[in-house]
Amino acid sequence: MDNALELNEFILAAALVFVVLALICNLVVITGRNSRGRAPVRVRERESVVAAGSGGAERSVPPRHSAKRSMRERPRGLALYASGFTVMSFLLYLAYLGIRMSLTGYGPFANQHEFAVSFVLGIVGAYVVVEYLYRIRALSLVVLPIAAALTVYAMAQDTAVRPLIPALQNNLLLTLHVGFAIVAYGAACVSCGAAVIYLLHPHLRFRRLPAREVFDDVGYKAATVTFPLLTVMIVLGAVWADTAWGRYWGWDPKETAALVTWLIYGAYLHARVTRGWQGKRSAWLLLLGFAAVLFAYFGNHFFGGLHSYA
Amino acid sequence: MSGHDSTVRDSGPSVLVQTEDGTNRPAGGENDVAGVELFRWLFRFFYSKTVGLILILLMALLAVLGSVIMQAGPGTYDDPAKLESFLAAARENYGGWAPILDALGLFHVFTSLGFYAVVAMLALSIMACTTHRIPELWRRVRHPRVHVVPKFFDKARYRGTAPTALGRKESLDIVGGVLRRHRFRVLVDGKDPEHSLHADRNAWSGVGTVVAHLSFIIILLAFVISSTWAIEEDLAVPIGREVEVGYGTGLTLHATSFKDSYTEEGRPSDYVSELELRRGDEVVAAQEVRVNSPLEYGGFRYHQSSFGIAADVTVRDAAGRVHFDESVPMRWSSQEGANAVGLFELPGSEYEVVVVTAASGRTNSSVPAGTALFELYPLGTQTGEPLEVRLANQGQDVDIAEYSFTFERERQYTGIRMRQDPGTPWMWVGSTLLVAGMCVTFMFQYRRMWIRVDDGVAGEPGRVRFGAVSRLDTSYQRLFENIVAEVDDELHDATVQTEEESRGQRA
Repeated sequence: MDNALELNEFILAAALVFVVLALICNLVVITGRNSRGRAPVRVRERESVVAAGSGGAERSVPPRHSAKRSMRERPRGLALYASGFTVMSFLLYLAYLGIRMSLTGYGPFANQHEFAVSFVLGIVGAYVVVEYLYRIRALSLVVLPIAAALTVYAMAQDTAVRPLIPALQNNLLLTLHVGFAIVAYGAACVSCGAAVIYLLHPHLRFRRLPAREVFDDVGYKAATVTFPLLTVMIVLGAVWADTAWGRYWGWDPKETAALVTWLIYGAYLHARVTRGWQGKRSAWLLLLGFAAVLFAYFGNHFFGGLHSYA
Repeated sequence: MSGHDSTVRDSGPSVLVQTEDGTNRPAGGENDVAGVELFRWLFRFFYSKTVGLILILLMALLAVLGSVIMQAGPGTYDDPAKLESFLAAARENYGGWAPILDALGLFHVFTSLGFYAVVAMLALSIMACTTHRIPELWRRVRHPRVHVVPKFFDKARYRGTAPTALGRKESLDIVGGVLRRHRFRVLVDGKDPEHSLHADRNAWSGVGTVVAHLSFIIILLAFVISSTWAIEEDLAVPIGREVEVGYGTGLTLHATSFKDSYTEEGRPSDYVSELELRRGDEVVAAQEVRVNSPLEYGGFRYHQSSFGIAADVTVRDAAGRVHFDESVPMRWSSQEGANAVGLFELPGSEYEVVVVTAASGRTNSSVPAGTALFELYPLGTQTGEPLEVRLANQGQDVDIAEYSFTFERERQYTGIRMRQDPGTPWMWVGSTLLVAGMCVTFMFQYRRMWIRVDDGVAGEPGRVRFGAVSRLDTSYQRLFENIVAEVDDELHDATVQTEEESRGQRA
């Protein structure tokens, strides 16, 4: 078992290396002068078929009989390497957690080390999905450094495998409750990345940076994923607390911190949808939301309470 | 003054206000405001999105304060002794700020008046917002705006055009087919049925918003029910003995054994109690209770919550009658953990008794091993000066006041939290509806577009125009572009087919 754990630590280190390589490649792709894919490849067969985006900019649509085909540009050259490295790091994190899970016999969420690596998996996974859907590499400049920093933090924690303490001995709820948390936190990190780029956009001189409003939209879309997942995570936590501690809510500091996070994302969505808050104000709320996520995550170091083991 | 007031005119001795329905009524200014205006004002206040937003952020702020500032446990503010002990600890942490934080209610944020006020206002805000929004959502489903002026197609955020050589009806039929394939509801523009269509998707999804908001009210209601009617009691059940469950159940809880296990590093690995619920001599339920597997019977749940050492104490009067013969759980500690402390009321007397023994494994206790210290207090004043203090060796009687106390032995007890909470089912109903409402809201987003067929002019082909209003939305943009492209493809194919058919007929 010790040998397997040692080997597994190499996998984690390799995942970190791939994250850094992906970040470097993306940095060059976004800021480089000789970007090969400098403009989207557009095929216009018929002038009259247009859809106008913001500012009236015309957008071409694919040629006839190709409407159902993907309109997304395929990455090439260094961009392809960047995407490949990112996917590779995701797979390595997944492998690391899978091996650890097979060694321990429970979901890899039982201590700060395991949860930190799972958090990174959620972040990199959410980024891979958003990059695939939107082809926005600039997000990686914020998201991947956070993933790398969290990996370093995870490596600095105690990595030994230990049996679950009695309160955590519920494999189903442990996996579901924390599983939803890591996906929600990953999406929250992506929305934070979009908010950061949105706020810095006027000062960035990158050649391949999409329009500023696109980051506002991506931040919103990621938040619409974060919020329901946070809700499910909190509800599952309440179900577990009711089983283990005999009450569904006890204002435990970790519970309260999760509620604060939920309220901030709720406030963001209300502000954006009903008050029409877009742009800077909603971007700041997204940053506040991710700060609350980190507060809830790192809070164990100073909260105490019933979640102090996590 | 009503928002429908249109004109004010001089009409004899008093000023009359003419309303939209043509009736006149006196305009009394600030001296004549209908009482119902107060409710309208309150409704407007609570459905204000700004008020809702401020309340959400205020609740978040209070929750942050509640998680970073040390909080008093349940019942602390009802027990002067506990409160004094808590405030002493607070003074150590916060110094001179402690009295200020205490005065602001920040040591019990979640039971403070301010928190209750914010939660109550938030509930009112949610109800007002939802009520205010329902008519709009209903219109969206039943009476959507199907007509737009032609100029709209030049100014919409998303717009597209596809040429057509077909007739208006054929073109609109093709557009309708494509839209239906994309799960759009297609409605004919009644004002201009020959040229225009309206299409929308997920108009019904507004119900998700209503459900999600109302579910939040159910969740708040569940909290109220739980805090008002839930029964919760921590039972200390000595191993080999039983305690009464009470609450009219006629049950006793018997603990056969308790075992706590640890890893080599000293981390706890298991706590397990063997419990039996008995009615008289009959065992009605029995189970090994662990942290994640409580015993359930008769609407109550019995959770493993703690364990410790109890002192078996017997108290007799001068005539030898037994007044007390129970295990006293040593729930508290003193002298920095060196002593274990228990408390019991002496039945039929005005006394309560504190029992002190050396804590397990501690050699620095002021109480020698194998002895127990009894401190006698007047009922309800155990923090003052004791009336009498006596040290008793195990098995030896000591006289305190008019009673004889015997410290029989120590034994382990298991701490079982007994709970019955009628709010819990409501919490699960509310939570399920909340998640379902959110899924509907975010997964089935409302989309709409307008379509117009313009006839060809001066030999040019006609065109189908598309328009949609929306914030910048990259996923809707993709869908919109796909629809325009598909329509373009199908119009082209239909035109080619028509031309081939007509060539065939001519041939």
